[in-house]
Amino acid sequence: MTYRVGIDIGGTFTDFALLKGEDVILHKNLSTPEDRSVGVMEGLGALAAREGLSLGDFLGACEAIVHGTTVADNTLIEMNGALTGLITTEGFRDEIEYRRGFKEDIWDVRLEPPRQITPRRRRLTVPERILHDGTVHQPLDEEALREACRKLRLQNVEAVAISFLFSFVNPEHERRAKEIVTREIQNAYISASHEVLPRAPEYDRTSTTIVNAYVGPRVTAYLERLVTRLAEGGYRNQLMVMQASGGVMTKDYIDGAPIRVLASGPAGGVIGSAHCGKAKGHPNLLCVDMGGTSYDMSVVVAGEAPAEAGWNMHHRYLIGVPMVKVETLGAGGGSICHVNAGALEVGPKSAGSEPGPICYGRGGTRPTVTDALVMLGILSTDEGFAGGSFRLTRDGVDAAFQAVGDEMGYGAEDAAFDCWRVVNANMSQGVRRTTAGKGIDPKDLVMLAYGGNGPAFAAIQAEDLGITKVLVPKASPTFSALGTLVANPTIDEERSYIASAHALDLDRVRQLWHDLSERARRYFTAARFTPEQMRVNYQLNMRYPGQNFSLSFDFRADAKLGDLSFMDDGFGERAIALFNQRHMAEYNHIREHEVPEVSGVRLAAHVTTPSPRVTAGFTASAGAPVPAKHRRANLGQGFGETPVYLGRDLRPGMAVPSPAIIEETFTTIVVYPGWTARVDDAGDYELVKG
Amino acid sequence: MSFELNRKLAAPRDPLPTTATIDQVTADIIRGAFETVCFESATFLGRAASSPIINQSNERNAAIVDAHGRLAMGAVGTPHLTFVNQMETRWGLMNLDRYDWGPGDVFLANDPDHGGGHLPDYCVYGPVYDDKGELICIQTLQAHQGDTGGKDPGGFSLDATDVFTEGVIYPCLKLVHRGELRQDVFDFVVRNNRFATFAGDIAAMIGGVQHAVRMLDGLIGKWGAETVKAAINHSIEHTERRVREEVSRWPDGTYEATVLIDHDTAGTRDIKVHVACTIAGDQLTVDLAGTDDRPNLVGVWNTFANSRSYVMTQVVAAMDPTIVKNEGFFNAVDIVIPEGCIAQPPANKPAALGSFHPACEITEAVCLALSAVAPERSQPQLYKIGMPNAVIGFDDNGMMWMDQGVDCRSMDTSAVQGIDGWGSCPNALGSLILSEAEDAESRFPILNISREMTTDGGGAGQWRGSPGSLNVKQVLKPTTAMAWMVSADHPLRGMCGGDDAIPYTNHFEVGSPNERQVAHTAQDLLPEGAVIAYQHGGGAGFGPALLRDPEAVKEDVLDEYVSPEAARAKYGVVLTGSLADYTLAVDHAATEALRADMRAMAQAAE
Repeated sequence: MTYRVGIDIGGTFTDFALLKGEDVILHKNLSTPEDRSVGVMEGLGALAAREGLSLGDFLGACEAIVHGTTVADNTLIEMNGALTGLITTEGFRDEIEYRRGFKEDIWDVRLEPPRQITPRRRRLTVPERILHDGTVHQPLDEEALREACRKLRLQNVEAVAISFLFSFVNPEHERRAKEIVTREIQNAYISASHEVLPRAPEYDRTSTTIVNAYVGPRVTAYLERLVTRLAEGGYRNQLMVMQASGGVMTKDYIDGAPIRVLASGPAGGVIGSAHCGKAKGHPNLLCVDMGGTSYDMSVVVAGEAPAEAGWNMHHRYLIGVPMVKVETLGAGGGSICHVNAGALEVGPKSAGSEPGPICYGRGGTRPTVTDALVMLGILSTDEGFAGGSFRLTRDGVDAAFQAVGDEMGYGAEDAAFDCWRVVNANMSQGVRRTTAGKGIDPKDLVMLAYGGNGPAFAAIQAEDLGITKVLVPKASPTFSALGTLVANPTIDEERSYIASAHALDLDRVRQLWHDLSERARRYFTAARFTPEQMRVNYQLNMRYPGQNFSLSFDFRADAKLGDLSFMDDGFGERAIALFNQRHMAEYNHIREHEVPEVSGVRLAAHVTTPSPRVTAGFTASAGAPVPAKHRRANLGQGFGETPVYLGRDLRPGMAVPSPAIIEETFTTIVVYPGWTARVDDAGDYELVKG
Repeated sequence: MSFELNRKLAAPRDPLPTTATIDQVTADIIRGAFETVCFESATFLGRAASSPIINQSNERNAAIVDAHGRLAMGAVGTPHLTFVNQMETRWGLMNLDRYDWGPGDVFLANDPDHGGGHLPDYCVYGPVYDDKGELICIQTLQAHQGDTGGKDPGGFSLDATDVFTEGVIYPCLKLVHRGELRQDVFDFVVRNNRFATFAGDIAAMIGGVQHAVRMLDGLIGKWGAETVKAAINHSIEHTERRVREEVSRWPDGTYEATVLIDHDTAGTRDIKVHVACTIAGDQLTVDLAGTDDRPNLVGVWNTFANSRSYVMTQVVAAMDPTIVKNEGFFNAVDIVIPEGCIAQPPANKPAALGSFHPACEITEAVCLALSAVAPERSQPQLYKIGMPNAVIGFDDNGMMWMDQGVDCRSMDTSAVQGIDGWGSCPNALGSLILSEAEDAESRFPILNISREMTTDGGGAGQWRGSPGSLNVKQVLKPTTAMAWMVSADHPLRGMCGGDDAIPYTNHFEVGSPNERQVAHTAQDLLPEGAVIAYQHGGGAGFGPALLRDPEAVKEDVLDEYVSPEAARAKYGVVLTGSLADYTLAVDHAATEALRADMRAMAQAAE
């Protein structure tokens, strides 16, 4: 028997998904923030015990351990990364501070600046200049560079980002600078922009490189520790790490650009959703993940969650590497309900998990969304919550909502109901903003809801958006761990190349794709994959002249790595036709008389690895379900006695009519009026309107 | 096309008649939905447009105006555009029958004398009707166009003496009739523009409006027209109430400020903007009486609608940012602009450059006046740059290109009480994304040499203005460069005792025998290899510099925002150690003594 293990570390819990043949076994244990690898090893020990094996035998039988880590995100949240310096082209010291003019709030003149990773004293410049065509306009001044190193040494920097103009076209200066900095500043972590994000423009690349340098030492040290522990424990294969692009890759690859793990947590959930949706016949999904502090939204089209390398702002820094697009709204179970100048607002402040909502009984005093669900009877104070680990209390909840109601001029239950309405509206608007500009109408999608709080709101929100079907997988509370098992080893990289589609230098395009292919081949081979397993999408980024946003599309999908035989004299014309097709799909128009330009060459290489099987269909038949109890609840149409079903009582083939509440381990599903919940052959829920 | 028309356009409008009543939460939910429509509409435009000024710089705005012409809800984009669009649509609303309005129509307006801003700010809008045919609201989209078909590319003519010189004027032009594009009209509009990419922009604007109108149809269908109208009324009333509450917390009185512009484009000096903000209970009145009205001024005429907008941009900044931006602000605040002054010009005056100046001096003067009552929110929301250096040339195929100079830089980012100036620009401009060297150089024969902040380039203060940048670039082919310089004699003013920003300066052909400073305007042919250097003015300080925490000054010196000399001369801070070795320390005793001397000298001088 061989195993595959997916591990996702959250703030409170570390989730495990063990793939054993076609079976998936889920496990959770507490995270160990001091050294997260400890919690990982504990969980693996528990899984081994469950299989009746020693840890060594178990790890020896593991064909792959796949891991999603939040170390990079936490470093940025806590701003405790490496003391970082920047070396850049003379004249361009302050791009990172200008942020291309961007400010997060155009109305609030009291908006605080982002904490600087590289304050001006640690941003040093050297004379050098490469032009847009790669020619050297001014040679690298190595003496000036050594002087810059001396200044950074004096400031005890631990990491150095190097970002020169047009290094993505000609990296000669950056390479040389990296050699010199390596010698001059011993033990510093060095990050060169042409290696981290080889594309224009300079702010995007510099910001990404700086953050990479900042989080790099922590991420690599953590992964190193984990790899060592796993090896000591008996694991003999490479650790695979989840990337924000939705693919996984080896630690060696991640070491080259640790920033690729930033924001990878949500990506796992989206990849898991895509897999689940596709298997159940729903390739176009709106994925919503409502946890304690946030509401994450993403779109899956044709079974894919495309990674976009655009204006990805994370923790107030631009991260330009490809990421599965996940929009986040400050609307979670812990979001606080309050009155601002006569208007009832929910969030963005959150009670988090400590002290958490009032109903957690851990000292929370401000009413939250979870408290509103208690007031509305959707969540129960009777029995275990979050899998039985503790019980919710109503003590203090009524009084807190009464205080809100006093300001609004009505009672506590009305205040709780309005809190529910407002958070619903916020989420619906959030979804619309997520799909905005993408030519996607939410009503054409199926919603897939996960996270502890998602299923309590899913159907009502779906209704608001015109969506008529919602999937709630039984495993939804541990979806991110499952997602790491679904994700394929993937390398998705691009190189800048700007030229009119009528004046393409095909040799250059060929060379860029060749270089990208060789990089992918090297890492895949080291991970013991064979060339036959490697499949490639050759992609182009194109735009009409003057457009800022390029569109990516497959020029050749699912091809053999390194096989560029499709490149011929008709390449440019085919590129134009494919681009126009893509533009039409995205914007509903094309510009017949304009010749588009190529802005970049991209290669997405992957290897398909075994995924958990997802059962679909409704072949089972079962009798009518019987509610375990009734409780007074308000599901949007006033209070009434509402049947409550227990998830463990429900069988494939059963249909739960509305109104109803279904209590599952770690989550509660609401069947709003007009909806029906059906249990499919896998035991997953499908909520259907009508 | 008269002051009388302006009076009609600006007159207060009644709430919409409705049979529905609405609660606060439902009204907020509908408002949120409207805001999202605007967001989608603006996003659609931003992604589909082909001109960098829209898709890269984001100079666009979406808003919803109600059937009475009130700014209803949901404005996304640039504040300076947000508060104009209702005036342009009012002209159309006053002429519904004349222009044969109906469902599915889309219009274009840009007329400075019919409620518009300057000509380049095209407003495309579409009316929204309910199923009974009642007009409920209008979706508007505004975007700055790269050209207007006038005498000079870009629409900014330094010597224009009337608006006709600047381009083609559209008071209310129907582009789409009952859902069908009027191809002849569309082609005519496209023909009157120098840029090939314009057709894509205007198509994207039409598409963005139609997309929004469909969404609004859906919302009206869902909630019902009466409820939607009630929500609009509620939202506007709520904003007015909140604005009045803010004003009532300010002390009664009249607070005045005068700001001067160095000169108009013909060289007439010291153009005056005067603002008096009077607070009486919950009523704020902003009166521009005393503002320059010399009829022979050139290039410094700001349209009436724009002047109102630039006043409001600063009033909004002075208040709680969570107040919803809609007509409630205009209902709560009286704006008095004398007819015939540069903030309400006679008909047919040129309008393009007025959107820079005096528009921004109006904003600055409002900020100065309100700094007496709302110091914690007194950061001027403006751009003191006369005009970015626009560089224009022709490619090998004879097609024109223009680098509009919206480069990454730092300018005008003043401190507010408690926060040093930071970033590239004041918040109001924070959604405009600036051009990068690697993009520009791939497109234009330009070499960017430097764009770093200048040490001591920000106004000193208890909180420090962000230093302005020196943007230096070289033209690699012969090109035309246009410039209009201001804010050299009269730089951005400090607040509440803070120092002014440094002056703007601009040099052409730097390092050559022809090196010259642009004193007021330039429209020069530059030879290949010429270098131009624009020193931006930076932000002004807030509060007296001698009150700044000496440790913060030391940090500023380490970061080279402030020189060791200025630390001493402007801040009275005595440092020991070495900047080169990062060993600076504050000599607190010496600092106290120096500051005491400086205060005594200042008092003596007074």
